Amino acid sequence: MNFRIIRALVAKDLSLFFRNRFYALVTALGIVTYITIYLVMPGSVDEKLEIGLYAPVVPPVLEQLPEEGVEIQAVESEEALIEAVIEGQYAAGMALPADIMDKFASGQKPQITLYFHADAPEEVKDAVEFLIRELAYLQTGQPLAIETSVEILGRDMLGEQIPPRDRMRPLLALALIMFETMGLASLISEEVEQGTAEALLVTPTRVGDLFAAKGLMGVGLAFAQAVFFMAIVGGVSSQPLIILTTLLLGAVLVTGAGFLIASLSKDMMSVMAWGAVVIIIFVIPAFGIMFPGTISGWVKVIPSYYLADTIHQAANFGAGWGDVWSNLLILLGFNLVIVWGGIMALRRKFE
Amino acid sequence: MAPDAIVAEELAYWYGELVAVDHINFNVAEGEILGFLGPNGAGKTTTVKMLTGQLKPKAGRAMLLGMDVAHYPQKVQGEIGVCFENTNLYERMSALENLRLFARLFGVRSFDAYALLERVGLAGREKDRVENYSKGLKQRLMVARALVSRPQILFLDEPTSGLDPTSAEAIRNIILEERERGATIFLTTHDMMEADKLSDRVAFMNQGKIVALDTPHNLKQQYGRRALKAEVSNESGELEMREITLDTPRTPEAIHELFAQEKVVTIHSEEATLEDIFIKLTGRRLTE
Repeated sequence: MNFRIIRALVAKDLSLFFRNRFYALVTALGIVTYITIYLVMPGSVDEKLEIGLYAPVVPPVLEQLPEEGVEIQAVESEEALIEAVIEGQYAAGMALPADIMDKFASGQKPQITLYFHADAPEEVKDAVEFLIRELAYLQTGQPLAIETSVEILGRDMLGEQIPPRDRMRPLLALALIMFETMGLASLISEEVEQGTAEALLVTPTRVGDLFAAKGLMGVGLAFAQAVFFMAIVGGVSSQPLIILTTLLLGAVLVTGAGFLIASLSKDMMSVMAWGAVVIIIFVIPAFGIMFPGTISGWVKVIPSYYLADTIHQAANFGAGWGDVWSNLLILLGFNLVIVWGGIMALRRKFE
Repeated sequence: MAPDAIVAEELAYWYGELVAVDHINFNVAEGEILGFLGPNGAGKTTTVKMLTGQLKPKAGRAMLLGMDVAHYPQKVQGEIGVCFENTNLYERMSALENLRLFARLFGVRSFDAYALLERVGLAGREKDRVENYSKGLKQRLMVARALVSRPQILFLDEPTSGLDPTSAEAIRNIILEERERGATIFLTTHDMMEADKLSDRVAFMNQGKIVALDTPHNLKQQYGRRALKAEVSNESGELEMREITLDTPRTPEAIHELFAQEKVVTIHSEEATLEDIFIKLTGRRLTE
């Protein structure tokens, strides 16, 4: 390795990257867009289930509702209740008949109408229906003959749910640095396509110098952008060292992916095509973090899972080295394999 | 006699079944211009790639400045300049930036890019992006880039191909200046006139083999046929051609008869071209 040569090549690559209007513009726009998305997303979580209630006579049991989780608000008429549910003011509406207490007293079944918005989740419907049944048992003096105890496995997030924008942070960071795969692959592919690599390799420049320069530039660009983004969105305020380490490993990962894409591509169009495939695959794990339960365990075969999960754990829950070391180790392993594979594939192309 | 700058010994390369270069031997002395001629697919590019360290020979060896290229590619490449046939410049950079980048790669400390650009006729365009250059200007910059390190050996692949006469002449002058400086020049070309004009010796390559290697003069002597060509006017005033082969016992008599019996309008001597010799040796044209 010749550091003078590598330094000259990195300076040249940086200069060429920012002279490519497409990549320069997309890089700048990407940072601005992702920061904007983060800032416009809700910064807090409303954990209460708000239910509208129309009740000419209010059963006493409704006053015994637990304070956490459910909030019942009275409305003046059944029409007003329906309108409020349609407008999304309440998760559900409950209309009680005027003779509810008489029917309870005579052992009859009063007719209670529940209103839900058309796109109300099934779990909200089930929860409200279950709540009504339990209240009815309580009101009639026949509580269910069971005792339930609740045990939260893992951290109890009641009262401290992660705001959507913080949940989205790993996805945004991942999407931002993943784009660098295309920028890097395009630079390498251009170098082969235009024959400049051939011109470099009849000077004292070795293939290793060329790869080292490309790698340094790819890692540097991806890392700088990710750190800038995370700093702006408050992602490095918790466990900064872990976050920086993770982002650095992530930058190495996208650089390796960039090498692989470049080895498969012949021109800008094929870089875009292969790049899009890799980016889609790599951001999937971040969706699993945004929407827990939507993605099963297979997602762990995707290297970026360990990147997104570590950012999520450290930035959102303050996870320490002891919690994330295995993630980082696996990510490092994936990096070694992908970067090595990328270099081998590219070397064949250059030689 | 000057020591050899380039030596090829039993140099061979093949791509699978196809033999591209078939155990060729030649040498180029320091300060010499060797014209390397052959049609497409003759093995010229593969030979140059082995000489410049881009390909490792499958057999034999290439020595440049006394160093085996396969063993010391980096050292050798520090001493050579290569000008490719196809333009391969950084188009989004200026001429100045292109030259300075290559100067840094070669580790050249004192380097006047402006002077070099002026020498190749690019003064005033130094800071323009290369993508805005014409083909002729790009080719001049390619030559300038090959000269950045003041190389001891210069490989030029079709340096004047497709250029306007002014640009082509400018590049030919630079080649001669470099020879004056003491550089050895390996000139690959299709242009017979150019090879004839510039080269100290020419090598003909065909189907991976060198079929002839000598000075243009000797090749013409050895393989060519000299003649006199005359235009004569016949009785009805129409022009007819007469050809007299030189260097035969009957030549003086034939010339005498021509002037005694015919009305000579024009007369000139004609010697074989390198193209004629190549066709005679290989049965193929160089431009095939």
